[in-house]
Amino acid sequence: MIKKNKARIAIFMILCLLALSLAGCGGQGGQEGTDVRSEGEQASVKRFVFGDTTFNAENGEADINPHRDSGGWACIRYGVGETLFRFSDSMEIEPWLAESYENTDELTWVITLRDDVYFTSGRHMDAEAVKECLEHLVENHERAAGDLHIAEITAEGQQLTIRTETAVPALMNYLADPYGCVIDMEAGITEEGIVQGTGPYQAVSLETDTRLELVKNENYWNGEPKIDEITVRTISDGDTLTMALQSGEIDAAYGMPYASYPLFENDQYTLSSCATSRVFFGTMNFESEITKDPAVRKAIAMGIDKDSFVETLLGGNGYPAAGVFPDSFSFGGDAVTAETYDPEGAKQVLEEAGWTDTDGDGIREKDGRTLTLRWLTYPSRQELPLLAEAAQATLGEIGFDVVINNTADHSTIRADVSAWDIYVSAFVTAPTGDPEYFFTYCCLDSSVRNAGHYHSDQLEELAREMSQTFDTERRGELAVEMQQTMLDDNAYVFCSHLRMSIISKSSVTGLTAHPCDYYEITADLDIS
Amino acid sequence: MGKYVIKRLLLLIPILLGITFLSFAMMRLAGSDAVLQQAESSGVALSQEVVDARREELGLDQPFLIQYGNWLKGFLTGDLGTSYVSGNDVFATFVSKLPATLLLTALSVALTVVISIPLGILAAVRQNRVTDYLIRGCSFIGNSLPNFFVALLLMYLLSIRFHIFPVISDGISLESAALPALTLAIAMSAKYLRQIRATVLEELSRDYVTGARARGVKFSVTLWRSVLKSCLSTILTLLALSVGSLLGGTAIVESIFMWDGVGKMAVDAMNMRDYPVIQAYVVWMAVIYVTINLITDISYRFLDPRIRLGSDRT
Repeated sequence: MIKKNKARIAIFMILCLLALSLAGCGGQGGQEGTDVRSEGEQASVKRFVFGDTTFNAENGEADINPHRDSGGWACIRYGVGETLFRFSDSMEIEPWLAESYENTDELTWVITLRDDVYFTSGRHMDAEAVKECLEHLVENHERAAGDLHIAEITAEGQQLTIRTETAVPALMNYLADPYGCVIDMEAGITEEGIVQGTGPYQAVSLETDTRLELVKNENYWNGEPKIDEITVRTISDGDTLTMALQSGEIDAAYGMPYASYPLFENDQYTLSSCATSRVFFGTMNFESEITKDPAVRKAIAMGIDKDSFVETLLGGNGYPAAGVFPDSFSFGGDAVTAETYDPEGAKQVLEEAGWTDTDGDGIREKDGRTLTLRWLTYPSRQELPLLAEAAQATLGEIGFDVVINNTADHSTIRADVSAWDIYVSAFVTAPTGDPEYFFTYCCLDSSVRNAGHYHSDQLEELAREMSQTFDTERRGELAVEMQQTMLDDNAYVFCSHLRMSIISKSSVTGLTAHPCDYYEITADLDIS
Repeated sequence: MGKYVIKRLLLLIPILLGITFLSFAMMRLAGSDAVLQQAESSGVALSQEVVDARREELGLDQPFLIQYGNWLKGFLTGDLGTSYVSGNDVFATFVSKLPATLLLTALSVALTVVISIPLGILAAVRQNRVTDYLIRGCSFIGNSLPNFFVALLLMYLLSIRFHIFPVISDGISLESAALPALTLAIAMSAKYLRQIRATVLEELSRDYVTGARARGVKFSVTLWRSVLKSCLSTILTLLALSVGSLLGGTAIVESIFMWDGVGKMAVDAMNMRDYPVIQAYVVWMAVIYVTINLITDISYRFLDPRIRLGSDRT
């Protein structure tokens, strides 16, 4: 009896100790830190917490300084900075901090600025302030300097004149890139990377990879922001982001894993999504004995079931792609025609080209060479390994032996053209809303990412024309022709466009996904 | 004793040189670099000129040995360099992450002690009875569950269902540390309580326990005063190993709970090939393992005077 009692006492003590330890750590399961304000004051303050998987140094967003890496994305997304021009829902350029612009000659642009805009530092935004900002930008941001080719900027009142070194037809588009956020250089950039912009919210504190604290800009020029305090939390783990939204610790989330979407498809949450220009696509290697064969490239294009990939593996969180750009662009979507999924047709193409299965093992051969396709991809985007597996299955039915190399070291391997046949990657094809960027960086003889050494005389000629064309409509037509040229050569196979979604509590309004993926927190954001 | 400690500390020099050189070499073998990784992550292309300029700026265009030599020179003069990714001072970044890791370590070890020692002893004392089977069963389950699963389970139960703790940590606080600490403690306790049980059982089968029992000494007196004292060195070794690995950070748990410690920092740095941060982490790991092992060895001497240290043997 005594022994039994002792055992009971021991168990009781253990449980007490455990409970005490946890209780000591516990408290209210709330979200806010210590706040010295009275309850009344706190109740009148409207707060919003936004969870984001992408706000981190790994993505080049160590801070919100638009003049460093991809800091401009955070600056514009979280409502701190604004650009001279912005993209409409149909990805057309429209004035924002600028009122209008005029292209006086090929190299000169005269931009008239709005007169009612103030930085959160209190300074009036005039042409001199924008000049200082742009000069600092091109001194410190290599990509911006390479895009803008600015030779000289002059400022007079609200009129800004930019002279470029060469003709830059897409200059206004480049100024709408997040790096073009106009910030007050007199106020400077703090050690934490905080800048003073013109947006509806002002950044007050920042911890890299952890959080950004914002407060309402009381003097915002374009309406009154409705939230008093906003916290942007970096949450790198998708499951944690899911549970944080479920528990109510955050009010909205960006970067939710696809598998979690069904949890939020009910009245308690709102899901806003749209197609972005991020595309998952394959680049054919023209140095490879396998993919230099036009029949093989055509069979690959016909052998990937894009619809099933999007519907089944991505759970509908994507859009099957035809060409480079999604249908939110006037020169995207169905403006071009690509091969559709047709396994029987693909078999026929291969048969006619002499690729036959002579030994009955299911893999085709020609001249003693088996139809082995070395598929190079990388794991950092969850969609790519899924695409590799889906293609391995469908191309296998046609007679391909798909060997997947899914590695983080893909950049090194990609540089060795003898090591792969098709390189499948994710790429933002129109970060500035203009089509030239993709062709310049990926498809031309001079392109840094033309890893497969694709060459087309026609494409080079069209690219030359585009680089000299200022007319937006004509640039769109050229973009369609260029895409079609590449698709006719089956030099690339575009599989899916990313559907970007923001999930928020149903009490949140004014938070909508935008095709360019730049505008998230705006003055319209509200929470009831 | 003094000579022994100095000798052990001097051993740290070749260890640091060897381990930092190896880690530097291995990161190069892994391919890619910080400039390429960052460009890939952002999903936009950089021109070759931009890539080359950035590499030159970071010194990545230099031969491997020169890069290592430069890092070593900085290290010896107390400069751990600047992060390739965030651009922040590595030492300052590292120091800013340490309080979180120290708190999580202390809390996890405390919870592990609270859970595993009493349950291990109880299982041994109640050998082959229901209590023993129950504890061993729990230990088996705890060992089988991966950390991330336990973390998600605890989040679901204690955050979403009962709203006791927050899902994401909100700075360094006990409230935020509770769930990650409990996650780590469950895994460690599951492992250690079996070892404690085995050690206590072994000790209970010794002659002096039988003798004490024959002399009519109370079992509780034998257990608390003799058996547990003899088991202490084993328990201490286990705890020392735990403290060592916990001070190195627990990347998965830290990432899941957004606990901003050194483990998460190290994994992020590895993904981004942020060599200065990786090197700082490697130095930290070497120092803590050597130091903790040294402290453990010295404590053995106090727990069991029969144990001799280094030159004491002669």
